[in-house]
Amino acid sequence: MTLETTPVDPDVEVRDVLRQYEIEQFYYKEAALLDGHRYDEWIKLFADDVHYFMPIRRTMTRRQIGREFTQPGEMAYFDENKQQLQTRVDKLSTGTAWAEDPPSRTRHLITNIRVEDAGGFELLAHSNFHLYRTRLKSEIDEWVGRREDVLRRVDGQLKIAKRFVYLDQTILQSANLSNFF
Amino acid sequence: MSAANSLVDQLDDLVSLERGEIDRRIFSDEEIFDLEMKYIFGRAWLFLCHETQIPKRGDFFEAPMGRDNVLVVRQKDGSIRAFLNTCSHRGNAVCRAEEGNVKNFMCTYHGWTFGLDGELVGVPGKSIFYKDKLDLSKHPLRKVAQLETYRGFVFATFDETAPSLEDFLGPTGRLSLDLLAERGDMEVIPGIQKFVVNTNWKFTVDNVFDYYHPQITHMSAFAVGAIPSPPDEFVEGGALTDEGNRLEVPFLPTDLHNIVMISEYGHAISGPEQAVLEKDYGSQEPFAWRYTPGTQEKLGRYGSRVAGHPHIFPTTWLTAGGQLSLRIPRSPGVTEIWWYSFRDRNASGEQQAAELSGHIHYFGPAGLLEQEDGENWAQSTLQTRGGVSREVPQLLKMGLQTSKIIKEDGLAVIEAPINEHAQLWTYHSWREWLRNPTWEELRARTTPGDYI
Ligand code: FES
Ligand SMILES: [Fe+2]
Repeated sequence: MTLETTPVDPDVEVRDVLRQYEIEQFYYKEAALLDGHRYDEWIKLFADDVHYFMPIRRTMTRRQIGREFTQPGEMAYFDENKQQLQTRVDKLSTGTAWAEDPPSRTRHLITNIRVEDAGGFELLAHSNFHLYRTRLKSEIDEWVGRREDVLRRVDGQLKIAKRFVYLDQTILQSANLSNFF
Repeated sequence: MSAANSLVDQLDDLVSLERGEIDRRIFSDEEIFDLEMKYIFGRAWLFLCHETQIPKRGDFFEAPMGRDNVLVVRQKDGSIRAFLNTCSHRGNAVCRAEEGNVKNFMCTYHGWTFGLDGELVGVPGKSIFYKDKLDLSKHPLRKVAQLETYRGFVFATFDETAPSLEDFLGPTGRLSLDLLAERGDMEVIPGIQKFVVNTNWKFTVDNVFDYYHPQITHMSAFAVGAIPSPPDEFVEGGALTDEGNRLEVPFLPTDLHNIVMISEYGHAISGPEQAVLEKDYGSQEPFAWRYTPGTQEKLGRYGSRVAGHPHIFPTTWLTAGGQLSLRIPRSPGVTEIWWYSFRDRNASGEQQAAELSGHIHYFGPAGLLEQEDGENWAQSTLQTRGGVSREVPQLLKMGLQTSKIIKEDGLAVIEAPINEHAQLWTYHSWREWLRNPTWEELRARTTPGDYI
């Protein structure tokens, strides 16, 4: 075992810590908007050219694990542009989207956040999530997985320019995906 | 009176075509479910997959047949076989992936190895432990009784006495598959959506033909323009919101004129007329594939007029949009839903992308339509378990005994406003399957009469 002997650059560390803090706060705010059913505000967090994608995961052998997830252009659960996300948001606010009326109770727990520079004004952010949902009298659904986001600074504001959501389930153990991830 | 007498001996009371009433207990009873597994899923031709899902030798796809799981495997000579995914030694699954490509299936319990054809080709230590006395040829993986394909759709049955797939499908079942196959050089898009709904499988089938529900169930999808509906036209009727206001139910012209086909063994097609659908969309363009002379001829006089929804008994639904939905009973109250989505290999990139977007946004667990459907099925299933609520009958009385069945071109056709004929036909056929008749008897009892 070797010991780290290179002195750390205090300026670099502070910059990273601030960035980490900023992204964490961004995600906590996003989670609060979703759990508070404030979808009109939530959608404002996305860039106009966003690609929001949740592929299908398949149980494959280790040898063929590279084929586990479907790719854009193949089947998916979500494959959304901004307009399509907006349609989903609008649908929830009609008052007649029965799968969410009465609304489900959700809790978005966002953890393991890692941020990297993606060049230019963009960051690559990895996070894990645990979405816990209860519906009606006694239904409970849970989804765990990871997200890969590209975050962009637009006029000083962070916007989600790309979100790929990788679920840990293959056969979904829920009747629907009527919530956002 | 034993429980065994209580439901099976009452089949005529459980499903009454005369009254248009179904006993709710058939949606939750364990004994009924066991009989369904044995007499329906143990005998019928069941859809497994499409040939394009397993194009290369050694490609496999695991599909359900009742409570069993079979591996559908592309052979070295290009043919297809299907066998149970259970080792002939001590039963372990010989494959635990959903799909993929292999040279052999090696069981991870003791290492028995099976070729792509299901034959036992390797037994570790067969001379030391078995003294070379084990006859490998006697212990292959158990094959399905019959496997056949129709236009790339792979079906199998566990019943060796079953009629050929072509006969089982008959003109109505074949037309159902033609309505997908005729769209082009069709292949399955990688990725089968799979999810679980707490419902009895029969609710999912009943719903295929139900054109009464979209106006209410899918109201929010209409409201955001996910499906076209004429603005400012509303249905009469008295639906009131929980605040006592009149609920403005959108008027859907697709609900006006339906074409129904009911057929032997329980298959049915029931849905709007193609011309009405095109009026809704304001264009014939998305349906261009229908208008080649070859396709018009293949679909025939009635087939070229029907837009949807075909159902191959017991659990295969083909949508008007180029998808196939398989509803897999796991228990009386749990059903898995699988969505197979197709594309035309020769379509342009834009066309393929537009269709893919449709596949993703209408059905499936995140679909703007099916989210609400699943909700209804689950709640309806729940109410079949109440001690008293299960005694309230299901009502299928719309258009009962009012529409003449026309027999032409090998089809039994009803033209009528929105109705519940196809649902009733499905339940009637379901009841006849449960009596476990011979194939000849079953065919006779599921041959349509003059009215339903
Ligand atoms: S159970 Fe398969 S080798 Fe023994
Ligand atoms: Fe529906």
